[in-house]
Amino acid sequence: MKITYKWLKDYIDFKESPQELADKLTEAGFEVEELIPTVRPFSGVVVGRVKKVEKHPGADKLSICEVSDGSTSYQVICGAPNVAAGQTVPFAQIGASLPNGFKIKKAKIRGVASFGMICSKEELGLENASDGIWAFEEAYIPGTDVYEILRIRQDYIYDFFITANRPDCLSLIGFAREVSAITGRPFRFPEAHIQEEAQNPIEEQITVSIEDRDGCPRYAARVIKGVKIQESPQWMRQRLQAVGIRPINNIVDITNYVLMELGHPLHAFDLARLKGPAIRVRASKPAEKFITLDDKERLLPENTVMICDSERAVAIGGIMGGQNSEVSLSTVDVLLESAYFKPTRIAFSSKRLGLSSEASQRFERGTDPNGVIRAINRAASLIARIAGGRIAKGIYDVYPKAIESVQIPLHPGKINRLLGTAFSARMITEKLQSLQLKVDNGSVTVPTFRVDLTQEVDLAEEVARLVNYSNLPAKTVTEIQYEHPQPETERRTVFLRKNMLELGLQEALTASMLKKSEAEAFADNDVVEILNPISDDMTSMRPSLLPGLLKAISHNINRNMPDVRLFELGRIFRKAGKPQQLPDQPYRVAAVISGRRFPESWNNENLSVDFYDIKGYLENFISKIFLDKSHFILYDKARYLTGNETVALIAGRDEIIGLCGRIETHICRLFSIEQAVYAFELDVEKLARYFDYNRTYRPIARYPYSQRDMAVVFDEDVLAGAVLEHIKKTAGPLLRDVFIFDIYRGKKLAAGKKSLAIKMRFQSLERTLNDKEVDKLFRKIIKSTCTRFGASLRN
Amino acid sequence: MFDEIDHIKNEFEKDLTSINSKEALEKLRVKYLGRKGFISAAFGLMSRLAAEQRPQFGQQLNILKKEIEAKHQTLLQSFSAQKSPKKYLDLTLSGRRNFVGHKHPLIAMADEIKEIFISLGFVVEDGPEIETDFYNFEALNLPKSHPARDMQDTLYITEDILLRTHTSPVQIRVMQKQKPPIRMIAPGRVYRRDTPDASHSPFFHQVEGLVVGEDISFADLKGVIQAFARRLFGPQVKVRFRPSFFPFTEPSAEYDFSCTFCGGKGCRVCKNTGWLEISGAGMVHPNVFYAAGVDPEKYSGYAFGMGIDRIAMLKYDINDIRLFFENDLRFLSQF
Repeated sequence: MKITYKWLKDYIDFKESPQELADKLTEAGFEVEELIPTVRPFSGVVVGRVKKVEKHPGADKLSICEVSDGSTSYQVICGAPNVAAGQTVPFAQIGASLPNGFKIKKAKIRGVASFGMICSKEELGLENASDGIWAFEEAYIPGTDVYEILRIRQDYIYDFFITANRPDCLSLIGFAREVSAITGRPFRFPEAHIQEEAQNPIEEQITVSIEDRDGCPRYAARVIKGVKIQESPQWMRQRLQAVGIRPINNIVDITNYVLMELGHPLHAFDLARLKGPAIRVRASKPAEKFITLDDKERLLPENTVMICDSERAVAIGGIMGGQNSEVSLSTVDVLLESAYFKPTRIAFSSKRLGLSSEASQRFERGTDPNGVIRAINRAASLIARIAGGRIAKGIYDVYPKAIESVQIPLHPGKINRLLGTAFSARMITEKLQSLQLKVDNGSVTVPTFRVDLTQEVDLAEEVARLVNYSNLPAKTVTEIQYEHPQPETERRTVFLRKNMLELGLQEALTASMLKKSEAEAFADNDVVEILNPISDDMTSMRPSLLPGLLKAISHNINRNMPDVRLFELGRIFRKAGKPQQLPDQPYRVAAVISGRRFPESWNNENLSVDFYDIKGYLENFISKIFLDKSHFILYDKARYLTGNETVALIAGRDEIIGLCGRIETHICRLFSIEQAVYAFELDVEKLARYFDYNRTYRPIARYPYSQRDMAVVFDEDVLAGAVLEHIKKTAGPLLRDVFIFDIYRGKKLAAGKKSLAIKMRFQSLERTLNDKEVDKLFRKIIKSTCTRFGASLRN
Repeated sequence: MFDEIDHIKNEFEKDLTSINSKEALEKLRVKYLGRKGFISAAFGLMSRLAAEQRPQFGQQLNILKKEIEAKHQTLLQSFSAQKSPKKYLDLTLSGRRNFVGHKHPLIAMADEIKEIFISLGFVVEDGPEIETDFYNFEALNLPKSHPARDMQDTLYITEDILLRTHTSPVQIRVMQKQKPPIRMIAPGRVYRRDTPDASHSPFFHQVEGLVVGEDISFADLKGVIQAFARRLFGPQVKVRFRPSFFPFTEPSAEYDFSCTFCGGKGCRVCKNTGWLEISGAGMVHPNVFYAAGVDPEKYSGYAFGMGIDRIAMLKYDINDIRLFFENDLRFLSQF
């Protein structure tokens, strides 16, 4: 919302400078997004008289001019087609500095010397684009400084951000009221001198009826006859342009001018084009179409408020007029509309139509139903003054049920409690009264232009903002008022993230929305789809963290960073059982690795990661989070993981916590990745069931361990995991540790065989084990293992 | 028996004089320290001693063993140094490194914010990212006709289920499950129907704050935000509150921090205003209390929000929000 400093002064006298005013209004809740002077500083430009204009011999479009600054004449090359002898023009002399920073120097243009420049309005920063040079209409004396002339007209344009609750401040009078409340100075409404015709009351000339009383609680009309349509006066055009409204003709400009002044939208019809002449307000019919004054045919949403004459629709109420009844150059008689439309109805239609106007923006937020008459009278008086014409007697005002002011109870104590202040009742009353609110007997009457004030807390804000938020007290935080434990969700997130980071994985955050094909590669039929996606790339909610992480790998590979270790902790999404339920949104933690095993360096082996790298990460992770009773099983049911390089992590009673393995090659290709990627992804909620935050210390053995190694030859298909499990079971509690420290396949063994070198450590918490018992146990293990797996000791 | 120890010692010293090669040294080692060497054999004799003498014998023998080992080590080193060319260590070569991980900058930022509020007595709550219309809008006093509910701004799953547009729904969920006093923050991901560009992302991150109790006032809100600002950016930071409008708070405020880059003098980052716009706050609207089942006659409260992404962008002078989600290692490794 734009206003200008000088225009505002029409309605209130204040002493604040443009910047002071901006600061005070910002503090009162009206954020100044921009404050621009209409005339930006420049120097060295004087009034010049064009004495002679001749064609440039070397260029068709250039002229050689003789320009006088009153004492000396200069040769100046000019490219504008409108330059002519006899004009007085802004003449930038050598050394002049223009608003855009441009400095005028002596120049040679197509072989002819030029001593300065004749300026356009654009070059002086007065408009965005000019057709040619600026020839003054006024008779200025040559040699006068042009900046000094313009500075008298200096004004400042404010661009405010108006919050949705303050439609009353989509007007100059709204700001005048605010400035009045801030400064304590009175404001005044614009004048409206109405001289009506003595004869022929309006009721005899037109009829107005409202069928759609819900959409249009009030409709007032005036008739002005015998107007002359022309360009509106310069002061009005300038003001409208300054606040971003394009001048059309005097009648339309006046309705826009009053809209800016009072915030109440008006519409002018060409009375001759209204059948009846009558105005009938009704709701739109199904599939009704209408051509608006921008010449577009629009399909009307149902229940749109339509302004009609006796035969057809002539305007979309509160949004835009119709082509069939708009004011044109041939208009003589005007019907002026000032109505009040229900905000929700206008908002609905405007949104469905995709059509927003200065009028609809105000009606949908709420205009003043009781400001209708002031607006129509102001506009009628301006029309009579500027466009001529005779105002018909009376206003045709249909207002079946008056909209009353809201009453709010006032308890100064409550306001003080909410603000943490100790304001007196008198002070609170004065602040509210300064905003045109009536206060008596503990009750506040809110004028109908303040649609935002409905509850006592709203009054608290009014007091607070007039006192200025900066002047309100701030309580130092001194005590913790209560103690609650951190919720479990937070505790486990912190715990898991810390442990993933300690593994040396880099944390990533990836998009929650994916392309449909990307999502479906990682899920069955339970992908959550978005009804109104932004684009085809973001239609589906991620069913896994892996697609996002694969994209991240791809991004880095494409930038020559092929060695990637990433993890992410976040929610995934899948459909719930019933469509009306919220989707399942469990947290997952996932890691992906790809590229080299070690950073590229002179002292690192150049190897690529494989399955055992990712499994190692996962095993380390499990040990860090103390997930004791877990094991792995082979798993080949995930479409996106290679069947023979994937395991599932199992905890508790056969619960799958997550998967760990190699991403299928065709999935990698989906993300343009050609190198192998290994990943694991775990369900956090499931994982958390097996955390034990209340673990206690386990004693450390004080006695030495005895160690035994064995090399056993197995068939190739015997799984190491099964062997180790068997050994553990056979050995019982004295076996502290067992692991495979070497694997041999080759010439010394028969085909299809492998030798596993297994190290076992035996230890007791109570005593040192003697060799005899260890040997006995060792022999038992060897025998049992060989029998169980059809294996033999290697020599 | 104890003579045996002296005997070994004498013998060793004699042998030592004739050692002139690495091979001879190895023979010496086997003779004394080997599995069947003198020391080992002497230990074997221990069982013949009376029990009370054994510890003393063992102790002396151990001292001798250590002496022999030390002498052997010294000689071994001197032989090695003589025979092999001197090994040159180029200490300017890089060490043996492995991959290291960093927190994501937004997580690091969120953690910093969380730590400040935890130290002020807040707990960290969490809520779903896909929400119902009720929690995201209705309960927050955003009636059906509110512009923020436009299809243009919100991503929907069904007519009634949507991607939350702010972290404020967590306020309602916490008030429903827990009686005041409440003192919580809720960080998390939120969604808007924005086409990605340098300053917009369809998903970003916020921290919500809510404090409800008896006699909680706007003064408490100002105090907490000021404390937060000073802890985050330093004691010199000033906070400015301006009136604003949010349907779920009344009075509502926007708060700015004095620019941390220019100290308030005006610069590129603060667009010459001297202030950095941080976010919104206010006193919880009575309608929100009603929706969440809290009695506004008995309790009052304040709520605030802030954009984690925005604060991180300000703090690290990042001018493109998309950098956070590309996961470029050159970017991520800087935090």
